[in-house]
Amino acid sequence: MSELLQNLIDGLGRGSIYALLALGVAVVFGIMHLLNFAHGELITIPGYVTFWAFNNGWNWWSVIPLIVVVSILSSLLIERIAFSRVRGSKDFTMLLTSFGVHFIVSAGFLLYVSASVKPIPRPDWFAKTVAVGGLRIEIFDLVVIAVTIVVLAGTTWLLQRTMFGLALRAAADDFDTARLMGVNSNSVIRGAFALSGFLAGIAAVFWIMREGQVTPTAGINPMLQGVLAALIGGLGSLRGAVLGGFVLGLAEVLLRSWLPLGIQNLTTGFVFVMIALLFIFRPGGLLSVPQVERV
Amino acid sequence: MFPNTKRDIVFPIIGSAVLFVILLGGGLIYQTIIGNGSAERLITTMLINAIIVIGIQIYIGNTGILSFGHIGFGAIAGYAFAVYAISPDEKLKRIPNAPFGLTETQVSPIFAIMIAVGVALIFAFIVGIGLARSGAQSGAVAATVITLAVLFVTHEVAKSWPELTGGNRGGVSFAIGASLGSRWPILLVLFAALVVARLYGQSRSGRLAIAAREDNLAARAMGVNPLVQQMVALLISVTVVAVGSSLRVWQIGSILPDRFFFDYTMLTLVMLIVGGRNSVTGAVLGVAVMTSARELARRLGQNGFEVFGIGLDEPPLDWIFRENLNSVVLGVAMVGFMIWRPTGILEDWEFDQWLYRKFGRGDEAEPERMDELEDIPDVRFTASDISVSFGGFQALSDAGITAASGEVVGIIGPNGAGKTTFVNVITGMVEATDGHFSIGDRPLEGKASFELARSGLVRTFQNLRLFGALTVRENVETASLVAREHRSDRTVRDVDSLISEAGLWEHRHRRARELDYGNSRRLELARAAAMAPSFMLLDEPTSGMSDTESVTMIEQVRHMAATVGAGVIVIDHDLGFITGISDRIYVFDQGRVIAEGTPGEVQANKAVQAAYLGSLAED
Repeated sequence: MSELLQNLIDGLGRGSIYALLALGVAVVFGIMHLLNFAHGELITIPGYVTFWAFNNGWNWWSVIPLIVVVSILSSLLIERIAFSRVRGSKDFTMLLTSFGVHFIVSAGFLLYVSASVKPIPRPDWFAKTVAVGGLRIEIFDLVVIAVTIVVLAGTTWLLQRTMFGLALRAAADDFDTARLMGVNSNSVIRGAFALSGFLAGIAAVFWIMREGQVTPTAGINPMLQGVLAALIGGLGSLRGAVLGGFVLGLAEVLLRSWLPLGIQNLTTGFVFVMIALLFIFRPGGLLSVPQVERV
Repeated sequence: MFPNTKRDIVFPIIGSAVLFVILLGGGLIYQTIIGNGSAERLITTMLINAIIVIGIQIYIGNTGILSFGHIGFGAIAGYAFAVYAISPDEKLKRIPNAPFGLTETQVSPIFAIMIAVGVALIFAFIVGIGLARSGAQSGAVAATVITLAVLFVTHEVAKSWPELTGGNRGGVSFAIGASLGSRWPILLVLFAALVVARLYGQSRSGRLAIAAREDNLAARAMGVNPLVQQMVALLISVTVVAVGSSLRVWQIGSILPDRFFFDYTMLTLVMLIVGGRNSVTGAVLGVAVMTSARELARRLGQNGFEVFGIGLDEPPLDWIFRENLNSVVLGVAMVGFMIWRPTGILEDWEFDQWLYRKFGRGDEAEPERMDELEDIPDVRFTASDISVSFGGFQALSDAGITAASGEVVGIIGPNGAGKTTFVNVITGMVEATDGHFSIGDRPLEGKASFELARSGLVRTFQNLRLFGALTVRENVETASLVAREHRSDRTVRDVDSLISEAGLWEHRHRRARELDYGNSRRLELARAAAMAPSFMLLDEPTSGMSDTESVTMIEQVRHMAATVGAGVIVIDHDLGFITGISDRIYVFDQGRVIAEGTPGEVQANKAVQAAYLGSLAED
């Protein structure tokens, strides 16, 4: 029982990061139907900046806002340089554009920084645990969960209660009509990328702390988890993306603890198989958005 | 299988041979000029890459679904090949505890390739079912993520199952006697891959897959089941990729998880995209262009090499042209092409089809006008008690019509009367809450739209849905291909005669997307007629036409229907057109049929005047 609780908290901690990433993917997907395979670069780029900052005597308290700002700026920059030029193109074109951006960024770091692993010091409280009724809970997990709750609440407020949120939801629902109603398409798309970058930035802080290193291909895994979580939840649904993130995190942790020792390495494989099964029974994901076929 | 032997078999084989010679010849020339071992390896690698890229083209090009998973299937095949081909002595060193007693097994390399193909096909079939479930169609995002997951799973399993694969570090470095010493197997497979890819593209299955790529909904309305054709494309494509991947492993002499992962996926995709993913010629061109570009970038990164004064040794150029520059070239090429030319250099230009147009086609005489069919099989379309509610809204209540063969039945009613819902129900797009409809004694409710089309109820669309990239003739041919298979009990009319009948003969080689509005409408009509339908359902066939065009359309619809012996059900809100064309008219209002009769009777009907004309008068 206590092991299960322990796993649940562990899974929620993991899931929180996935939820933040997935929500960022879903916001951008909703607004321009772009599944952003370059979303992981919003972790790679601040990762290298973090490495640079620590080498120049910064500490975690000053690095955290730096990570978030760099992530937002990267998101806006990528939109400006690449995605704004393929706006309204076929899905095929946008998918490959984002894939190409991912590749350019990682190849760029490989070429002009280094292929080797760059270490980043973890904060001193990282490995500490607190004992609660027989459970040993990592402070890191608690912090991640708490911060995620606050960020998600803030995002909900932003989307539900502000003009920007209204414009964004309207544009996600029907971009052309929203434009006709006076929504400025440029600013709402940039706003979506900024929000996506902000969410990725928060996730990046935790991801970088947890990994304690950065490599040119560091973005692949967070990208994949974010995209998969968004898909599990149901592409186009923001609530689904958050739900998908938590489901994915819990599934990973629980599987790892249940699988026999010999095949624990295959956890990721099993998670994929489960996702495949989910799609066979619920092709649209958990909270599927009904797609109307226009004749 | 193939509509036209010369165009779809002979010329594609000739074209493949020419492409093969050009690619190989160019490679051999470069190899001879440079004259060292690394140039030779480069060309061998290029030929193997060409096989794999052509394999990927078969799927992506014909279905329009972006797949990241093909290199994952390649990994499966590569490992299967390696594990079966390596000698037991080598295996004892690398994978002494292989499962399924594989450590002791060894078969000849050719047989190992066959096993590799078989294993890859099993996985491809399973993944294909998942893709179908995810609602795969051109550009489908979910399908793409599934293929991406395939790539990651194979990579993950290859890394985490060292007993079978040798894991990430050791790899299965092997000697099967020797590595692939000669190029002959590669050349043979490359030529075969070219021929297979071209023949598939021209085949019935390929045509139907391409039709679904162009417009999934319209393809289904023409009796195509896209999921079946996508599966066929996937299996053929994976077969080619599996053979190519086995050769790749054989040639390198070892296999590692990372060799069949992101970087190689990126390389092969960029090659395909740059040349033009919808064309096999494009795939070959892309391989040549990207191989050259990367070779140039690689050499610019080498000390002492320069072209036009650009090279490694002088700062600040030194900072740009460094080793691994070729991988940045890939990313830049992909993003650049997506932004400026997403369809690639050649779009869907196919070398052998150009050859055919130049030398093979010759003069074609316009066919004679067709006679109307003498004896039309007597069938009846009946729809009764059809009700549909969306949430609380009753869109249709107990609506029904009948139509006999050879008859033209009109459906008219103001906006919101339920006409479109009715059409959607009897074409399988919307499921009725209640009610039945049938052709003859064959019940049709609950059938998918492609099954309805095969049963003889073929529709056109209010907002045109043609297969844009296909020519006028290919559009009609596609429907005819389906008709020959599923409507063989009826008279399937000659494609060219139908084109001529629709007044499109001089436009027969133009792409459907280049046609003007009137011609597009006429093409939709000809395409529907080519299905040898029992009933043609025309959804607002004159919307957007002028009055004179509408009048001509009446004559054309009636004649076209008579030449294939089809009854016509036509929906429109143009009163003049409906009364002009119909033998009988049904008037819909607020989800019900409020009147039925000849045009004269309906116009005299008081309820109709009140409901329909009254509401029109108020407008």
